[in-house]
Amino acid sequence: MIPLASRVWRVLVTGFSFALFGFGGMLFALIVVPVLSHLPGEPRVREFRCQYAVHRAFKWFVRVMEFLGLLTVEVRNAERLREPGQLVVANHPTLLDVVFLVSELPQADCVVKQAVMANPFMRSAVAFSGYFANDPGDALVEACAGRLAENRTLLLFPEGTRTDDGQLGEFRRGAAHVALRSGRPLRPVVIHCHPPSLMRGQRWYQVADRKLRIVLECCETVAPEEMPAGSGRGAAARRLSSRLRDFYAKRLQNLDS
Amino acid sequence: MLSRDEIIAMVSEVLQQEFDFTSEELKLDTHLVDDLDLDSIDAIDMAVRLEERTGLHFEDDDLKSLQTIRDIVDKIDGRL
Repeated sequence: MIPLASRVWRVLVTGFSFALFGFGGMLFALIVVPVLSHLPGEPRVREFRCQYAVHRAFKWFVRVMEFLGLLTVEVRNAERLREPGQLVVANHPTLLDVVFLVSELPQADCVVKQAVMANPFMRSAVAFSGYFANDPGDALVEACAGRLAENRTLLLFPEGTRTDDGQLGEFRRGAAHVALRSGRPLRPVVIHCHPPSLMRGQRWYQVADRKLRIVLECCETVAPEEMPAGSGRGAAARRLSSRLRDFYAKRLQNLDS
Repeated sequence: MLSRDEIIAMVSEVLQQEFDFTSEELKLDTHLVDDLDLDSIDAIDMAVRLEERTGLHFEDDDLKSLQTIRDIVDKIDGRL
């Protein structure tokens, strides 16, 4: 296939995938969520059902994109995500990071943007899954630590958002605060996208010149270090966040090379 | 009753202990967000430490109005 034809094909299937995601989200809101909401069970069980449905839907969506030749996804050490009650953190190079990760996590509590909470096609699934809005402050940290105490897996993106160039951004300290508050180590997943694509500010039709290779590397846990007596939790969060970012920078360098 | 110099020293000590800053990083006009990268959780931690030391209570609106170390010192100085 000549490069131009390849590019046209890639734009077409990318557009199809975006449309499929939107249409799928609409069907999910109109059919799946109402059906699930009528099944019996306590709130926790109902949230788990909805999260599992989101997981299956995202897994299917990833398979479709692989089938269309848009990308390949390789998950390294996936078994590390199987244990429940983990604080999973990931870098955020692409628009689809949450899709890739949730497709590997049958149960995951997520923190989502206010815009997603307000989206008419997504808000019912988000609310019914028990996801949090990313309100700043202590209440969110407390709520996240509470979910971990219930042995639920929590997914956070310490960068908060994607960067314009796909490179590692600055880390906010919310994930570190949650780790310190809950006493749980962080389970880093390093996401690598080659060539860089689906970055912030990129239009959907600005496609890569070849199939994307997505690697999700599930790493060993990073635990908070012992702090000297008298040190505050603010200092501990800064140190842990800094260690975590250094960890990601090194791993991404290795994956790049 | 603390003197203004004692308040400055206390605020500096709280910020050093709570966040690992050095005294060189902490000047009166140091900006809490732009220079020290304090976030909303840090602001609460800082307020708790200052409340312990001064007996004052900081409301959310108080915290939002604080931009620099000078603002913290002024706030405490005006209420002690």
